[in-house]
Amino acid sequence: MKNTDLIKLPFSKNNPILVQVLGVCSCLAVTAQLKPAVVMAISVTVVVMLSNLIISLMRNTIPPRIRIIVQLVVVSTLVVLVDQVLKAYMYDVSKQLSVFVGLIITNCIVMGRLEAFAMVQKPWPSLLDGLGNGLGYSVILITLGFVRELFGSGTLWGYPVMEKLGLYSIGYENNGLMIMPPMALILVGLIIWWHRSRNKDLCEQ
Amino acid sequence: MAKKNFSNTYIFIYSAVLVVVAALILTVVSVSLKPAQEKNQRAETKQMILKTIGIEATRDNADELYAQHITEADGHYTFDGGIILPLKGTGLWGPIWGYLALDNTSTVVGAVFDHKGETPGLGGEIATDKFAQRFIGKKMDTQAIHLKKNADKSNPYEVDAISGGTMTSNGVTAMLAKAYEDYKQIPDNPEIPEERKEATE
Repeated sequence: MKNTDLIKLPFSKNNPILVQVLGVCSCLAVTAQLKPAVVMAISVTVVVMLSNLIISLMRNTIPPRIRIIVQLVVVSTLVVLVDQVLKAYMYDVSKQLSVFVGLIITNCIVMGRLEAFAMVQKPWPSLLDGLGNGLGYSVILITLGFVRELFGSGTLWGYPVMEKLGLYSIGYENNGLMIMPPMALILVGLIIWWHRSRNKDLCEQ
Repeated sequence: MAKKNFSNTYIFIYSAVLVVVAALILTVVSVSLKPAQEKNQRAETKQMILKTIGIEATRDNADELYAQHITEADGHYTFDGGIILPLKGTGLWGPIWGYLALDNTSTVVGAVFDHKGETPGLGGEIATDKFAQRFIGKKMDTQAIHLKKNADKSNPYEVDAISGGTMTSNGVTAMLAKAYEDYKQIPDNPEIPEERKEATE
């Protein structure tokens, strides 16, 4: 695989959420609003890049029988480390991120990419794979966050869009279902449907 | 990649070394960063308390403003014009806390909430100003404030709960009820009749 493909493919043909169906749980939990979705997207991208790199460097020393445990130790050490440093020097950022720490460690994309890619690839391609998958995840997360916040709360990044447009005065109401996690699942389903219909080669027989 | 054969001894040593190294890194980082982190947390608590009485402090001037405006009493705080009650409870995933400033008529003049790990966008919304604003003007005199879906905005004891954050909202209701019990015990509580106040003094 070419290096450019490592970045390009996860956006569409090998998207972690749409095609690999990884990281769906966090995608339901944090997309009720745009801001947490963006914070989560950035955090996961950084973590998946770094952990891919570290695991790739260690890959020849890791005994296959305990590889999952080793991956877990590396990922959680990394995430807790970043959280600690932020708490000391960038307290406001850490306030935003600390709730995500548990979500990032258990994010299936991180483990999935370590298993599928970093365990058998050299460090540089692994780093790029992490970047690509992180960005592919981000695109879906931010899309969901945008739609759900706009129609669920009538705001975007906290800015009251619908109110400024004057829609409430003519009888518009927010869709409460948009706030609930099931709606995120429905939206992901719709996006997958649309995505498959455009990429017939992805359809299972 | 050709899978090498790893002996059991190797696996044991490998995992032991890995865990020790990881633990060592985390311990060193945690211990060396602790003073800076605690300083931030103390300043944040002061910022939160100041916020309930409408003073926006930064982390740098929080100490100074706190000393000017707030007096610490037994289990609560006082400011010029009322009492600040600390709130402590549990949400869905972990601790939640906050402060509630009451004036001499037990009316809420300011509130602030925070949480450790509630779901962002759902229960995590309690930390927003938008949520805290809902408490202003509510009363803690004859009963505690509680959270309710589709609350009646004119009812001084009801505050609108968070959609999708029912468990966290219940946690907030529980900690308000607890704070109300504590509030009743405070000797200079204006709601306590004069004669009982004398008895406690």
